[in-house]
Amino acid sequence: MIAKIYKNPYIRFILFGVLAAMVPTLADWGVIRFGTITTLTQVIYFGIAALGLNLLLGYSGSISLGTAGFMGLGAYIAAYVLSDLNMSFLLGILIAILVPTAIGILVGLVSLRISGLYLAIATLCVSEILLESFRQATDITGGMSGKRTSFPSIFGYTFDRASTFIFLVAVLVLVMILTYNLVNSHLGRAFNAMRGSEVAAQAMGVNLLKYRLIAFALATAYAGLAGALCAYYIRAVSPTQWSLNLSLLCLAAVVIGGFRSIYGTVLGAFVVWAVPDLFLKRLPIIGDNPAIPFIFNGVLIIVVIMFYPHGLVHITHDARKLLNKLKKRGKGDADA
Amino acid sequence: MKWVSLMSGELGTLIQLLLRSLETGSVYALAALGIIIVFRTSLITHFAQGSMGMFNTFLVTTLVVSFAVPLWAAMLCGAVSAVICGFLVDFFIIRRAKRVTPVGRQIITLGLIMIFLGLAPMVFGVDPLLLPRFITGGDFRIPGLGASISHNAVLNISIGLVLMGTLFYILQKTKLGLAVRVTASNEPTARLMGVPTRTVTLLAWAVAGVLGMLSGVMIAPATTVTVTLMNIVQVNALFACVLGGFQTFYGPVIAAYIIGIGNNLLVYYVSSVWGGQIMYLLILIFLIFRPNGLVGKKYVKKV
Repeated sequence: MIAKIYKNPYIRFILFGVLAAMVPTLADWGVIRFGTITTLTQVIYFGIAALGLNLLLGYSGSISLGTAGFMGLGAYIAAYVLSDLNMSFLLGILIAILVPTAIGILVGLVSLRISGLYLAIATLCVSEILLESFRQATDITGGMSGKRTSFPSIFGYTFDRASTFIFLVAVLVLVMILTYNLVNSHLGRAFNAMRGSEVAAQAMGVNLLKYRLIAFALATAYAGLAGALCAYYIRAVSPTQWSLNLSLLCLAAVVIGGFRSIYGTVLGAFVVWAVPDLFLKRLPIIGDNPAIPFIFNGVLIIVVIMFYPHGLVHITHDARKLLNKLKKRGKGDADA
Repeated sequence: MKWVSLMSGELGTLIQLLLRSLETGSVYALAALGIIIVFRTSLITHFAQGSMGMFNTFLVTTLVVSFAVPLWAAMLCGAVSAVICGFLVDFFIIRRAKRVTPVGRQIITLGLIMIFLGLAPMVFGVDPLLLPRFITGGDFRIPGLGASISHNAVLNISIGLVLMGTLFYILQKTKLGLAVRVTASNEPTARLMGVPTRTVTLLAWAVAGVLGMLSGVMIAPATTVTVTLMNIVQVNALFACVLGGFQTFYGPVIAAYIIGIGNNLLVYYVSSVWGGQIMYLLILIFLIFRPNGLVGKKYVKKV
């Protein structure tokens, strides 16, 4: 019975969420440092953006380098709705999802004409247009000095650092469940067919236009949501953070974690955003130099890609295999 | 009479703008050429071209500022370091990544970006540096039009043109160039035919490194040398590659000049705020109508 419950994917997602939501409590108890919460929050919102990218790249097979631009758009919209319009942050999140999605659908239309590397750089083009607009539309975005906002509040309750973290964890779990349902529905099967061969998919009755648009809409919606969450947690949005490098980091999270894997993407985000902060900075001697974690992250990305091309999510599987092998060998020795 | 002087003033501004654009165009063209050479020989989009260029520009600047080395000697050192960087990257990483998925291979250059972004402040310090121009002061004036161009800009444009001319001569007319082109068109077949494809790839990375360094040194005097020095150059060079098409060596170079000129004209005549975005939007729209770029060939997809 317990094994059956444990095997249920939804319960696993919720369990994962409950475990993650205990982080602020652990920090209160002094088990982990408060700075760790901020690092883990980064993992959450960038993880959501990376999940969207994984839907697009891993499942439907189209690449995008525009994640950062759409995240930035979401962040600015969320901050604008909360601070300038003084409306509910939920409405802010909703608009921050809808507007990037609309642009994402346009990019999806473009993606029917161009593919591969050209598409990647076309999306980068969209991202750069957005980024340049963040700098120039000073009335809304605050220009180069950026925009400030505040912690969201609902029904008279204002979130603080810890409760925002728990809220973010809840959103992450919801997004993971949503993604799980999406990829296990007819949508996921259509994406898989499309990735394998567009022509074959069309022959089997998959409407290429429809599913391309859905794939891009989903990826940008996730990015917009991630941006909004980022804005509400950091409470400041600056135009410099949404550069090509951030898009590449999201891509790295997907590749490192493993294509077509939900936990893998979150794991990848953890490796990219949390490992340098949480572990490398603690190392003696080299940890003091602020440049070293950066270099280590770079080396780590290269090493993982070269020696673990299917993603870190397979590490448990491989470890189990290795363990079984060792067990068998141990038995063999005993028999001999 | 007034009308004539006004016209000549307008024309002067236009020529002035075009000359300026040629300088930025050269910078983008050099960077784009580096990216395309690497892409054609090892099928990797060189996202780290800018970061490697930034690193070597930092080296040149540090030599000039802190050690009072003359600029030409510093650039020579920078070129040597760029070649070494290219060699190391190809020898230790790219060569060993043959089995990696196509997307994974692009991410490798992301790892390189992070390494160079981390190395630069560690080796050269975090303070922004100033790189002097080759030729300080002095303008060429075009009589009657009021347009002028600094000696340094002329030098930059000529260096760009001469260098690209030499590279294209080598590519088209020499045995080495033939080896590069053969590797670019089909690597396994080229290897079977006895072309030393590994050496070709090694050279490509070294040349790309030097081109990146040169574009960095050219753009540096206009701003300060920091880790973000090459961001704009890198993005525009990538756009030049798609606008020109990844299939030829000369397409991206032409496209780089088009982007340089188009950008300046739009910023001056249309809108100083939205000019840059309009340029990018035009590239996007162009791509919709010609998905393989200006001079790209269309490959027929077979089922």
